[in-house]
Amino acid sequence: MQFAKGKPSAGAFFDSDFASIDSVLATAMLFGLQGKNDCRVAILTVSRPNLAVVGFADAVERFYKGPAGNFSQVPPIGMRTDGAAGDTSAAFTIPFQKKNTDGNAVYTNQVKSVIDTGDPNTLIRNYLEAQYDQNAFFVMGGPASNLAAALEFSGMTDLISQKIKYLVMSAGSFDGESVDSRIKADIPAARKVFAEWPTPIVVCGSEIGPNLPFPGASIDKEFAEAVHDNPIADAYRAYQTMPYDAPSRDVAAALYAGRPQEGYFKLSGNGTVTVDQSGRTSFVPSANGKHQYLISDPAQKEKILKTYVEITSAKPVPPRRFKPADAADEKPKETPPPK
Amino acid sequence: MITQKTLPRRTFLRGVGSAAIALPFLDAMAPALRASTIPGGAPVRMAFFYVPNGMIMDAWNPTYEGKFQELPRSLKPLEPFKDDILQISNLTHNTGRALLDGAGDHGRCCGSYLTGVQVKKSLTEIKGSVSFDQLVANEVGKQTRFPSLELGMEDARQAGDCDSGYSCAYTNNLAWRGESQPLPPMLDPRALFERLFGTGQPMTPEQRKRQAIYRRSILDFVTDSTHKLESSLGPTDRRKLDEYLSAIRQVEIQLERAEKDTRPIEPGMDKPYGIPADFSEHFKLMSDMIAIAFQADQTRIVTFLMTREGSSRPYRELDIPDGHHPLTHHRNLPDLMEKVRKINEYHVRQFASFIEKMKATKEADGTLLDNSMIVYGAGLSDGNAHLHEDLPTLIAGRGGNYIKTGRRMVVRRETPMCNLFLTMMDRMGVHTEKFGDSTGRLQGLDLG
Repeated sequence: MQFAKGKPSAGAFFDSDFASIDSVLATAMLFGLQGKNDCRVAILTVSRPNLAVVGFADAVERFYKGPAGNFSQVPPIGMRTDGAAGDTSAAFTIPFQKKNTDGNAVYTNQVKSVIDTGDPNTLIRNYLEAQYDQNAFFVMGGPASNLAAALEFSGMTDLISQKIKYLVMSAGSFDGESVDSRIKADIPAARKVFAEWPTPIVVCGSEIGPNLPFPGASIDKEFAEAVHDNPIADAYRAYQTMPYDAPSRDVAAALYAGRPQEGYFKLSGNGTVTVDQSGRTSFVPSANGKHQYLISDPAQKEKILKTYVEITSAKPVPPRRFKPADAADEKPKETPPPK
Repeated sequence: MITQKTLPRRTFLRGVGSAAIALPFLDAMAPALRASTIPGGAPVRMAFFYVPNGMIMDAWNPTYEGKFQELPRSLKPLEPFKDDILQISNLTHNTGRALLDGAGDHGRCCGSYLTGVQVKKSLTEIKGSVSFDQLVANEVGKQTRFPSLELGMEDARQAGDCDSGYSCAYTNNLAWRGESQPLPPMLDPRALFERLFGTGQPMTPEQRKRQAIYRRSILDFVTDSTHKLESSLGPTDRRKLDEYLSAIRQVEIQLERAEKDTRPIEPGMDKPYGIPADFSEHFKLMSDMIAIAFQADQTRIVTFLMTREGSSRPYRELDIPDGHHPLTHHRNLPDLMEKVRKINEYHVRQFASFIEKMKATKEADGTLLDNSMIVYGAGLSDGNAHLHEDLPTLIAGRGGNYIKTGRRMVVRRETPMCNLFLTMMDRMGVHTEKFGDSTGRLQGLDLG
């Protein structure tokens, strides 16, 4: 096996309710960025107790990471166990009905019960510990429930400060009117995260998605040309009657998180986001504020949509294995027992 | 000397010289025990039997959850005792993983197994943490002659590079008294015997030779006090005492046989004096003495490194001349995997013989096994891939009428192994809110 030496690309943590195809495409974006060595996807966590959704996320993870191999494992999907299960889109179930020419299922759902999932806090803790300091980022696309729970977990705030460089939250609205359903779904959690999350936060508001419709035509073109059986493409087809271009706020958040320096978006100045009792988000500028929000840049739209297709449709590339520059060989010394 | 009608729990048969034999739990001790601080009669014991290099998991995990039906191949030797074991799946030791430390899974997994921390990658600066058995020993050990026993069968070197920059102190020890104080296992059965039945000081070779010449059993030295005790016991206690002393005599006979056996253990390699060349004989000696030590309440805590982590021991008794560790990197080749399955099953067969003895030993209203938690486990699951999740773990015994056995319990993936340790600590009467990377107590051990 080829080893890369030194510091790997940033670890990516993605928490979502997987309530729309946007979250699925965002997962493809993160794994696609992994293929470009812009990040390494650490774990996926789901913020609602819905086994069907988790089963699909698990199938996507295995599609990109491949089976567990030597010295590597495919972590379970983290799943919150309280709260409402919510709706289950056909996007998460129809792909499992797909058969290959032998009549066998193309994708297998390996999540049969809660024991096939992981506790989000334990997973986040365990996989943060495997990251170099300030070499990881978090993307949240859904209610803030899991992140708020993480802040309650023993030692987690310090660990997040140590390992995470920034959080990109695909939640909230900055059009001055809308109340984002993601915030409304768990207002105390959103408030807690905005108030206590120890790293800088970049917010991707609900106004971003409609401005960047995902090019649905790519599903039957670029996606199909790259990989015949792709759960992302099959989910897209099942989510809504084709053709359609899905709003892509989570994809935008994932793209920004993986390539913050590329200038795809404009950024607000520093400030503080607060959440009122109805779930409306407000931004108050302040020089010391840790929060910013993304602003669409019409000049970048074409480039962004092209990048969307290029990255999300790419063939899976497993993460490279890294070892410290001074690491010794893997093999234990074969010394005879003492006489 | 026995002077009381009600026997104190800490009664010894004492004789000439350094002989001192602790007694098993007898009915005559019951009134004293009822007045003691030991709840419910007999105390709870805890042991860890550790096997290295992971397992072939398809032969370890059943395909079902819940009540045991057909046991998987590696567990077959435990078939007669399947109502007495609980298999737990999905426990994970995150601290055994590389995290940022590169190669060395064998060193890490053994070092973290009972400590719950990631050990420092070093050959000279040894750093781990107090293992949970020792936390228990610090409290419970005050009530027994030995706070704990650390035993092994292969290699107790404490220095040198045993895995990719990890000191042998990590691969060759399970128990840690302090963060830089691993407790080396005792390998020599004679030394263990003398520790259990002597003053604690090993005999010199001359003393051993003199005893061997006269072929005297330790039981001969305590004949007078044995007779006195017997005369004061009822028939049930007399039978128990006789069985117990016979077990000690059997160990002595095995020891003498091992000491006479001078066959080389490997071509060109002399056998250490007194250590049986045969793996199963060595195991039997050590495990018989564990059972005796538990029976006599000499200790309640044992860690037993069956072979060191990363062991390359061949198993010629199974017609497997290849080293164990190289075999576990089988690259999914069926013939190599089959050899590993045979080794896994062989280890479990030894363990089953110990469980048989524990189950056959009556104590209070049940058996010694009922009052114990004997964990059999490994620090890696798939040894080929060096995986640290779904660690092979089973508990034999009910921990004092608490654990619901006879089943496979599957917990959520990534559940920390340290959660099990917290629950076991509770059973041992030591309560703490956190150990290692625990996230809470492991629920469900007591649910059928």
